Amino acid sequence: MKKLIAIALGTVASIAISASLANAETFKIGLSNGWVGSEWRTQMIDEAKAAAEKWKEKGVDVEVSVQSANVDVPGQIAHVRNFIAEGVNAIIVNPNSPTAFDPIFAQAKEAGILVIATDAEVSSPDATYVGIDQTAWGAAGAKWLAETLGGKGKVVAINGVAGHPANEMRVAGYKQVFKDYPDIQVVNEVNANWDQAQGQQAMQNILATYPDVNGVVVQDGMAAGAWKSIMDAGKTGQIAATGEIRKDFIDLWSKDKLNSGATVNPPGVMASALNVAVLMLQGKELKEPATAGQYKNAMYLPIPFIDSKNLADAAKQVDGKPGYYSYTSALSIEDAEALFK
Amino acid sequence: MTPTTTETLSSHAGGLKLWLERYPFLPALIIVVALLALNGAFSPNSLGYRSLTGLLSTYMALIMLAIAQTYVVSAGDIDLSAGATLSLVNVAIVVLMEKWGGGAGAVVGAMLLGVLLGLVCGVINGIVVAALRLQAIVATFATSIFFTGVALYVMPVAGTPAPALFWRTYGGRLLGLPFVFYVLAALALLLFLLSRTRLVTQLLAVGDDQQAAYQTGLPVVLIRIKGYALCGLFSALAAFCLTGDTASGDPLVGGKMTLYSVAAVVLGGSALAGGWTTVVGSLLGALTIGLVNSLVFFMGTPSEWQNFVQGLAILFVLMAGVLAGRRARA
Repeated sequence: MKKLIAIALGTVASIAISASLANAETFKIGLSNGWVGSEWRTQMIDEAKAAAEKWKEKGVDVEVSVQSANVDVPGQIAHVRNFIAEGVNAIIVNPNSPTAFDPIFAQAKEAGILVIATDAEVSSPDATYVGIDQTAWGAAGAKWLAETLGGKGKVVAINGVAGHPANEMRVAGYKQVFKDYPDIQVVNEVNANWDQAQGQQAMQNILATYPDVNGVVVQDGMAAGAWKSIMDAGKTGQIAATGEIRKDFIDLWSKDKLNSGATVNPPGVMASALNVAVLMLQGKELKEPATAGQYKNAMYLPIPFIDSKNLADAAKQVDGKPGYYSYTSALSIEDAEALFK
Repeated sequence: MTPTTTETLSSHAGGLKLWLERYPFLPALIIVVALLALNGAFSPNSLGYRSLTGLLSTYMALIMLAIAQTYVVSAGDIDLSAGATLSLVNVAIVVLMEKWGGGAGAVVGAMLLGVLLGLVCGVINGIVVAALRLQAIVATFATSIFFTGVALYVMPVAGTPAPALFWRTYGGRLLGLPFVFYVLAALALLLFLLSRTRLVTQLLAVGDDQQAAYQTGLPVVLIRIKGYALCGLFSALAAFCLTGDTASGDPLVGGKMTLYSVAAVVLGGSALAGGWTTVVGSLLGALTIGLVNSLVFFMGTPSEWQNFVQGLAILFVLMAGVLAGRRARA
């Protein structure tokens, strides 16, 4: 017990010393992730941590503390409460619900904490969203498909989870685009719940029902499965379909010369959000205030796109990484600085 | 060994047993106090007035749900649809409050209907399990899918905000004290009154030995249905707390909470087999889950290990509690 106390005292002392030695700017940022079901989320957090390290070169000490676990909505609210108790300067959340955080974000703001949501938009007026516009994400894939097909043909859509906000926005995005191409005919839309196996099965059913289909709009997380069905049916050369940004798919794409294009939802969004947060903590002001989106609190990041033209570059970026690694991009500190006055 | 020492030993053990019999939640209480101390050691702020109030207002929903679960567990049953009932009441009251304009009348009206809805869900479960004699664990799993379906029909996408009056009251203060303290006081009173009713004793009798209860002339089927109704009622109360803390409707919000509620019951010192339960223990069990989650973070566990450590810690607490409880009942 005595030993334990000694260790505890030692730690306290060393923390106190390191705090007093830090003459540079020091910011404490809490990262909360409420779902650990995919490698994408793990990569998101790793990139954000790396981005925080980079600030050291600028003489800014960014200390991140991470809460990442499978939790229900109250559990993630508790994440935010813990951060408030810890006295962080900013909180960056990949939220489990678009609306449930309104009251707790209000409390965080009251406590003088900057709140940023990333990857999924939140309705709270006390938070800023830094991430991609999911509607534009859906539109980009559809635009690539329409142009690849020369503006005409039969198209099917394989969507994610019905009722999920991001899915609804992506669907609205491709619908908007196809309106401008009167000769593109959307013959069917199915839900495959962002699941590779369900995507594969949905594509099998589609190929059986519509043997003359020309194009497929399929979201990431299901596209590899859908492509497997296309390849199994021997239709690789005849069908154009959207793809994935994971390394294993990019490899397959390069090897088999698939006619594919992938809108990138980069795991680097949290790193971008972190860079924006640090600049905001330094008291800088955005050139254009974040007022986009349905909740009027969004700052949208550019959305990269991979197609046959830049596939080789993308393959180079993910070269040597494990198969689950996703192609990524993030605002560098300089990129972020350019957005501020 | 002299007879005197044996005597003192046995009387000592007997004393502990007596204490545990009278206050079966004692091990859970000790665990909660220990966890609070540990949280405080790693992050002094976490024991602040504000943080503790926050902990209570966030975990009040799980506390209510754990208490709901306790009443069916008393009779040797289980309710895997408690979380789905919570979701259904959550979306129903949010939609109704919005439809009726969000005023005080709308809030009270929606809450009354919410209680009724919770009771109906409970009675449906009771009939399916006790009257139709389906296995509780599977039957309530099936009704949970059914209730979730209804909730998705009422509100297809998470998002409708609850009226400000509702969540500002829940998260705010009344006469200088956080509102959630009044909720806790009201809950304590309700639990005290319930503990004096014949129903709770009857539930425990059924859970202890259903055959014996039947032979002594107790209406076993009716008692079990009443237990489920009580569970539905407290699930509805849980939904009110959750709505107060999240200020919105979400048709899937309670799904993950069901198993946590069962875990809280066991962590609190109740026996899942029935006949030996403690509502106060379940309250403490729910807090234990919340405190473990916070502790894992305050200890500075690396993010990739947080799920692992959290599971391990709950398992550890469970073992400590069960060992203490078994000793008392032995």
